[in-house]
Amino acid sequence: MAHHDDDLLPTPGQRVGTFLKRKDVSQTFVLGAFFTAVFVVLGLWVYPHWMPNVMSKEMQGNEDIMIWFTVISAPIAGVVLAIAMESFINMHRGDTPPPEDGPGIKTHGPVVIIWSAVTTLFCILAIVWGITEMNTWSADALAGSNKALVVEVTGSQWNWSFNYPAQGISSHELNLPINQPVEFRVVSADVNHSFWPVQLGVKVDANRLATTVARTTPDKLGVFDVKCAELCGINHAYMETVGHVESVADFNSWVSQAKATGGTQQ
Amino acid sequence: MGTGAVVGVLFAAITYYMLRRHFGSPWRVNHRMDMTNPHFVNVTLLCTMFAWSFGFLVGIGALIGPFRWLIGKDLTAEEQLYLAGDGQGLKRYFKYCTDHKVVGIQYLVGVMTLLGVGGTMAMMIRTNLVTPGSHFVNSTIYNSLVGLHGITMIIALIIVSTGPFGNYIMPIMIGAADMAFPRLNALSWWVLFTAIPVLCSAWFLGGIPTGWTAYAPLSVQAGPGMNAFIATIIIFALSTAVAGANITTTVVAMRAKGMKWNRVPIFVIGATISVALAIPAFPTFMVAMIQTGLDRTISTGFFDANVGGSGWLYANLFWIMGHPEVYVILIPGVAALMEIAPVFVRKPLFSYGAAIAGFAGIAGLSVLVWAHHMYMAGWMPNLNGPFMITTEFISVPTGLLFLVLVGTLWRGKPWMKMPMLSVYAFIWDFLIGGITGIYLSDVPADNYLHGSMFVTAHFHYTLMGAALTGAIGALAFWFPKMTGRMLNDRGSYISFWLVQIGFNVLFLGMFMAGAAGQPRRVADYAFAFAHANLISTIGAYSVGVGMLVLLWAVVHSWRSGVVAPMNPWGSKTLEWTVPYPVPLVNFAEPPVVTSDPYNYGRSSK
Repeated sequence: MAHHDDDLLPTPGQRVGTFLKRKDVSQTFVLGAFFTAVFVVLGLWVYPHWMPNVMSKEMQGNEDIMIWFTVISAPIAGVVLAIAMESFINMHRGDTPPPEDGPGIKTHGPVVIIWSAVTTLFCILAIVWGITEMNTWSADALAGSNKALVVEVTGSQWNWSFNYPAQGISSHELNLPINQPVEFRVVSADVNHSFWPVQLGVKVDANRLATTVARTTPDKLGVFDVKCAELCGINHAYMETVGHVESVADFNSWVSQAKATGGTQQ
Repeated sequence: MGTGAVVGVLFAAITYYMLRRHFGSPWRVNHRMDMTNPHFVNVTLLCTMFAWSFGFLVGIGALIGPFRWLIGKDLTAEEQLYLAGDGQGLKRYFKYCTDHKVVGIQYLVGVMTLLGVGGTMAMMIRTNLVTPGSHFVNSTIYNSLVGLHGITMIIALIIVSTGPFGNYIMPIMIGAADMAFPRLNALSWWVLFTAIPVLCSAWFLGGIPTGWTAYAPLSVQAGPGMNAFIATIIIFALSTAVAGANITTTVVAMRAKGMKWNRVPIFVIGATISVALAIPAFPTFMVAMIQTGLDRTISTGFFDANVGGSGWLYANLFWIMGHPEVYVILIPGVAALMEIAPVFVRKPLFSYGAAIAGFAGIAGLSVLVWAHHMYMAGWMPNLNGPFMITTEFISVPTGLLFLVLVGTLWRGKPWMKMPMLSVYAFIWDFLIGGITGIYLSDVPADNYLHGSMFVTAHFHYTLMGAALTGAIGALAFWFPKMTGRMLNDRGSYISFWLVQIGFNVLFLGMFMAGAAGQPRRVADYAFAFAHANLISTIGAYSVGVGMLVLLWAVVHSWRSGVVAPMNPWGSKTLEWTVPYPVPLVNFAEPPVVTSDPYNYGRSSK
C-alpha cells in the first residue's frame, strides 16, 4: 500500500461525530432524555404528594433528600434504562439463536473510567449532602439546647407516655409549643420500641435502661402522629397516639390545667 | 430419608421424654404450653429439636465417613460409588447421595418448597392488609406470619442460586468431576433439610412474635415458638458453613486444565464470592442465637439490660451478619444474569474485570456497613457519619454491575427468551431498589424512613426484584441441562409478566404507604394508608398467580416438555458440552480450556 494507514484513521473528534450520527445512538439519547425526564418528574411530584405535612425543619430536610436524590440520579437511571430499552427494541425473536453475533466489544477503558467517576461523584455528593444536613441538625440542637423543652418519652407494651420534668406533668398525649426546640429523652420500660413523631421527621429507638435522644423544633401548628417503628409484640400496630403543636399560650394553659388536675393528664 | 426420619424422630422422642421426666411436661391440659417455668420448656424444646436434627443425620448415614475413620477403615471405591447413587435411579434423590447433580436437584426442590411456603405466608400478610381493620388473622398470627415469611424467604434466597445451580452446574462449568468434598456436599443439604421441620414446628408452638430480625429482649420474652427459630438458625448456619467451605475449595482446587482465573465463568466467580462472604457472616448470627437461647434457658442475661446486658449487642451481632447476607443473596443472582446476557446477546461480557471488581467491592464494603441498620437505635450516634460513608460507597461497585450488563446489551440484538427477559426485569427492579437505597443510607432521610414500609419495599426490590429474578432467569437458562427438557415458553412468559407487573404494583403501593408514614410489620393501619395498601394487595395476588403459573410450567416441562438438545442456547461454557443425563463423573475426558467463555462477537476490534 502506498498511502499511510494514519491517513485513514479518523481523529477523535471525527469519531465522536460519526458516533453521534448513528441511528441507534440518537435513539438511545432520545430514550435517555425521556427516562431522565420521567424520573425528574417522579422525584419532584411524587414525594411531596405522598409524604405527610412538613412540621419541622428536619422533616423538610428528609423530604428534600428524597426529592433531590431522585432528581440527581435521574440521568444515571436514564442512561441505564435507555441502553436497555434500545437493545430491547432491537430484539431477535424465534426459536433459534440470532444468525450472526453482535460486535465483539470486550471492554472500553474510557467508558469504564467515566462511569466509575460519575457514580463516585454522585456518591460523594450524597455523603456531603447527608453530613451537611446532619451538621445543621446538630448545630440547631446545640443552639437551642439551653432553651429546649425536655420531654421524657417512655415506651411500654403498648403505649407511649410523656413526662415534662420542668413543668412537673405527665401525659399520654404529646403537646408541644410551636417554634420551641424540644428534646425527647426516650427510654423503654420493657422491649425495644422506636419513638416516631411522624410529621416532625425524627425518630429514635426506646431501649431498656438506656436513654436515647432526638431533637427537633416544630414550626407548624397542627396534629401529628406518634407511632412505634420497631416491632414490639402483639399490639405493635396499635401503639400510637396523636400529638399537637400548639401556640405557646395554648400549651401553657394545657400545662396549668394538667397541674390543676394533679399533674397527670390523660 | 425414611430411616433418617425414623431415627430422627426416635432421638427427638427419647430426648423429649428424658427431659420431661426431669422437668415435668411442658404441655398443659388444654394443649397450650405451660410457661410458668419457661426455662424448662425452652431447654426441653431446644434439645428435642437438636436431637431430631442429629438423629436424622445418623439415620440417613451422614456420619458414615467419620464413623469409618474411627474404626480405621475408610470407604472402599465400591462404597463410594454406592454413596454417589450410581445406577440407583430415582431412589438416589431420597438418600444421602454425594453426586453433586443429585444434591443440586435436592436443593432445587427444597428451594421451590420454601418459596411456596414463604409465598403463601406473603399472600396471607397482604390479605390481612387489604383494608384497615380487616382482621383476616389476629395480631399474634400476623406477627408470626411476618417473622416466618421473613426467615423462610431469607433461607430460600440464600440458597436459591448457589444451592441448585452452584451444586449442579458449577462443578461442570469449571470442568470438575464432582465437588471437592462430595460427602460434605450431601451433608450441607441434609443438615439444611432437618431445619425445615424445625422451622415449621414454630407454628405449632405458638409462632414467633419478633419478625425475622428476632431482636432481643423481645425474643427473650417470646413464647416457645422462638426455640424453633433459634434451632433453625443454628442448624442453617452449620449448613452454610459446610457448603461455603466446599464451594470455595472446589473453585480454587478443581478447575479444568487451562481455566486460569481470567477464564472462570462469571457465575462461578459470583457464587464463590457469595459463599466466601457467607462463611464469616453467619457465625455471628449463630452466636447471637446461642446467646438468645442461653438467655432463655439459663438466664445468662446477654441481652437483658436489667442485669447489665444490652439489646444493642444483639443488634450489632445480627447486622454484622445481616448486611453481608443481603449481598450473599444478591451476588449469585446478578452473576447468573451476567452469564446469561452474553449468550443471548451474542456479545462478549462487557468488562469482565469490572464485573469482578463490582462483586469484590461489594463484598469488601458489605462487612463495614452493618450499623446503617442502627442509625436510629441510639447505639452510637457519632458513628452514623462513618457508616453512612461506607454505605453510600457501595453504590460505586453496584454501579459497575449495571455497567457490565448495559455494556453487554449495547448494540446487541438480544434473543428474547425467558432468561433474557429476566435480565431486563433485573435492570429495572434493581435500579429502583438501588436508588431508594441511596436515600435510605443517608442518615437524615433514614430518620423518617427507618422502620417504615418504605424499607420493606426497598429490600423487596433488591432481594426479590433482583436476586429472585436472577434465580428464575438462571432456572430457565439451566433447566435444559438439569432436566433434559426445555422450560415451557408460553407458561414462563405468562408467569414473567404476571410476576413482574404484579411485583411493581405491589411495591409501588408499599413505597406510597411507607412515604406516607406507615410503619412496617403492622397488623393494622390508619385509613390514610388504605389506597396504598389496596394497590399492594392487588399486585401481590398477581405475583401469586404468576408464581403458580411458573410452578405449573416447571412441573409440566419437567415431566413432558420438549426434549432439549445438548446446547440449546449456543453457549460456550463447559456445562453445555456434556450430554443429558450428565454422566456420574461429568466428562468422559477431562476438558482443557483454551479461552475465556465469552468469545462471541464479530471480529473483536
